[in-house]
Amino acid sequence: MALLEVRDLHTYFRTRAGEVRAVDGVSFDVEAGEMLGIVGESGCGKSVTVLSLMGLVQPPGRVVEGSALFQGRDLTKLQGRELEDIRGRDIGMIFQDPMTSLNPTLTIGTQITETLRRHLDMDKKQARKRAVELLDEVHIPNAAQRLDDYPHRYSGGMRQRVMIAIAMACNPKLLIADEPTTALDVTVQAGVLDLFHELRAQHDMAVIIITHDMGVVAETANNIIVMYAGQIVEQAAALDLFDRPEHPYTEALLAALPQLEGEGIREGRLLSIPGRPPDLIDPPPGCRFAPRCAYAGHDDCAAVPPDLREIRPDHWVRSQHPASERAAEPVGV
Amino acid sequence: MTELQTQQTDGAGPAASSNGEGLLSVRNLKKYFPIRKGLLIERTADYVKAVDDVSFDVYAGQTLGLVGESGSGKSTTGYCVLQLLKPTSGSVKFDGKELTTMNRRGLRQMRREMQIVFQDPYASLNPRMTVGDIVGEPLVVHNVGNRRSRRRSAEQLLEVVGFNPDFINRYPHEFSGGQRQRIGIARALALNPRLIVCDEPVSALDVSIQAQILNLLKDLQKEFGLAYLFIAHDLAVVRAMSDQIAVMNKGELVEYGPAETVYTQPKDQYSQALLAAVPVPDPRRMRERREERRKHKDVLAEPV
Amino acid sequence: MLTDRRSEFEATLTRTAEARSQEAGAAIARASLLKDALHRFSRNRAAVVAAFAFLVMVAFVTFVPIFRDADPNDVDFSKAFLSPSLDYPFGTDEFGRDLFVRTALGGRISIAIGFAATFAIMLVGVVYGALSGFAGGRVDNGMMRFLDALYGLPYLPFAIITLAIFGRVNFWTMVVALTVASWFTTARVMRGQIITLKENDYVRAANALGARWYRILFRHLLPNTLGVILIFVFLELPGVVLGEAFLSFLGMGIEPPKASWGSLAQDGYTAYQAHPYIIVIPSLCIGWLILSAFFIADGLRDALDPRTREKF
Repeated sequence: MALLEVRDLHTYFRTRAGEVRAVDGVSFDVEAGEMLGIVGESGCGKSVTVLSLMGLVQPPGRVVEGSALFQGRDLTKLQGRELEDIRGRDIGMIFQDPMTSLNPTLTIGTQITETLRRHLDMDKKQARKRAVELLDEVHIPNAAQRLDDYPHRYSGGMRQRVMIAIAMACNPKLLIADEPTTALDVTVQAGVLDLFHELRAQHDMAVIIITHDMGVVAETANNIIVMYAGQIVEQAAALDLFDRPEHPYTEALLAALPQLEGEGIREGRLLSIPGRPPDLIDPPPGCRFAPRCAYAGHDDCAAVPPDLREIRPDHWVRSQHPASERAAEPVGV
Repeated sequence: MTELQTQQTDGAGPAASSNGEGLLSVRNLKKYFPIRKGLLIERTADYVKAVDDVSFDVYAGQTLGLVGESGSGKSTTGYCVLQLLKPTSGSVKFDGKELTTMNRRGLRQMRREMQIVFQDPYASLNPRMTVGDIVGEPLVVHNVGNRRSRRRSAEQLLEVVGFNPDFINRYPHEFSGGQRQRIGIARALALNPRLIVCDEPVSALDVSIQAQILNLLKDLQKEFGLAYLFIAHDLAVVRAMSDQIAVMNKGELVEYGPAETVYTQPKDQYSQALLAAVPVPDPRRMRERREERRKHKDVLAEPV
Repeated sequence: MLTDRRSEFEATLTRTAEARSQEAGAAIARASLLKDALHRFSRNRAAVVAAFAFLVMVAFVTFVPIFRDADPNDVDFSKAFLSPSLDYPFGTDEFGRDLFVRTALGGRISIAIGFAATFAIMLVGVVYGALSGFAGGRVDNGMMRFLDALYGLPYLPFAIITLAIFGRVNFWTMVVALTVASWFTTARVMRGQIITLKENDYVRAANALGARWYRILFRHLLPNTLGVILIFVFLELPGVVLGEAFLSFLGMGIEPPKASWGSLAQDGYTAYQAHPYIIVIPSLCIGWLILSAFFIADGLRDALDPRTREKF
């Protein structure tokens, strides 16, 4: 049994205009010690997916269907105290904006020890000692003194490290990081991503990292899920995904990335994907990417929704026209 | 700071004046913000040196990429160039004319030649004006043509940036981020400027939309002979757009030269570290990249 | 030459416009901002009830004097101090005058003064605050310090002194007195609004175009403050109505035979023990108006709250 088994998750938001199907049938596994990257553009449902797992979806949103078995227990069915126990102790979570994730009126030390004492029943002294250890682990210099500082004395990258320390305080089996480096400068980001690697190696902890940045996910994840319009459209090992992407969206996404290295970059044009992601209140009946797809021909792409199928070992794709099955040259974008 | 170098790109060479100066010529630009202390009587205790002695040229029809992280002073530089912020000292010459000492009327005229595209598509358009009014405002302010011709121009401008001209009576809230950026670009184009300062124009957009907007900017550059001062923090985006690159760190210009050179053989430690820090979408190179970063560990270490 | 370049530009524009595809796509089909705002307003139940109550009040003061047969100034001592009954829903006062009609007429005056003064406050406050915020720097500093000094003056005494200076109390002097005493908050809020709005990129864009200051102020800044101004109208109204009522109650109200709710309450003050309804009824009316205005303002705040606007 995997550490986390998500099956057929559906999370909808009721709005005046209709029901937004933010997550529409998502299933995946996370093994112990694995680093899973969920990648996609804004609105694809990647954040809502993990928020659903943690019971953090607020009304008007709710999980309408599906399950999320964490070590055998269904997170979507837990309430109140049970859920809070798991959250923070067995599953740690970090969010995007380090500036607002920390309480500005409490010292860093208080915020860390608070978690420790809540979940691990430590006394003040023990908790403080452990807090220093944690800050050391995330490479905050002069940890002992800095424990009594307030968040405003920390830089953005430092705060994110503190968030990681808090998330890791109780040695969780799973760490969920939702766009952890998006708000950070690229030099700071490098350090934080390095930290993830380090912590994973030392703690045998699984990590789910959510990002829109293909570079970040390439350098951190073992396995990658690509989401589009509330669904998983491709899932594979990182190497395989970048080597041989199958789904037209994945291909287009990679092609649209400006390259840092190479020839003729200045003169050339980027491959852009025409149009916009579909309305999630009334998603297209067939393949959700079909309106923008170069390969959605005169067949039934727009009418029949494709299933997620295993096109080769450990490589899943939701498309009728995956790269390996395309015979002729595609119509250019 | 590396010396000014002439670029060796294909196609038209730089439209530089005889002394090597570009269409836009910035020399020793400084912008200091005073930190005021004191309760009743405020005195200036210290300065934040947002831009500290920066010099570069932007050549007609070409793009200078101004790259740096947050706090590097790149946006401030852009605003100083357009005189939206008054520089503390230094020279900004456009087409040989000094802007920092120009009177208000002269500056107003110059504004027809230099425009700006902003980062935040949600804050850069007045929510109470129709798209047509927004795009046509430059023409109204400078009294170009009459009402009918302005309307026609507004429609054409919208078409040029990829819109259906019927959208002229719609309001900004009816459009997505990427579409709003197009409107902002159309507005910048309205007066036929020779230089457009692009201040992080795609930072707030998704990758697929980003590519559309970058392509649009490239196309417009060719079609209208525009020069760009392209300000961004994303090195890959800047690479795609720029002929010359200037790297800023904490207000100072640390590297400057042709894009090709700066990207392949950066001389400054900070630029090297910056390039090493960018994650590359290729898992095979993960180990190599992490090795590279380790070499620059001290530069990449954070200030406490 | 600029003109040569212009014609060349327009030619390129035409050519490019024809050749370019409409890749920007369709607009996002959305309900209008007004509908969104109305919807958010309607979700605030208190505000909806209050709006209704406000309209009822307005209907009362408008239509009762028209349809009611009694003459408000008809003195008939035989009918003095009648308690509320079917014939006289609000009873009669010491002069036998029908209080139902008098209350409605008094309401007209109170509400009229309320709106007039509120309008004047908006005018003065918006102009002062907008100019201060827009000017910035030393001018703003100076104007705000002056405002701070005025804040120190107590509200009612200030109004009373102003009335005393005029010498007589009629509709206009009352409006002026109330305005003079209460425009400060509005000015301060407007200044804050303008300062915040000034930071928006679209203002920078207008600057970058070379737009002159009056264009920026009137086309870009003020139109975006309309929402706040509307909310403030309903926040200031209660204060002004109450202020007028107080002044009238203290005896500095509108001269008889015209009456406002405040002066009606004052009339009833002496006979309070025996005939409470004479003072209670106008007081309730004042309360009715104030409460409904406050809750409407609350609803308007919800309606115009940018946080609830969705972004794509």
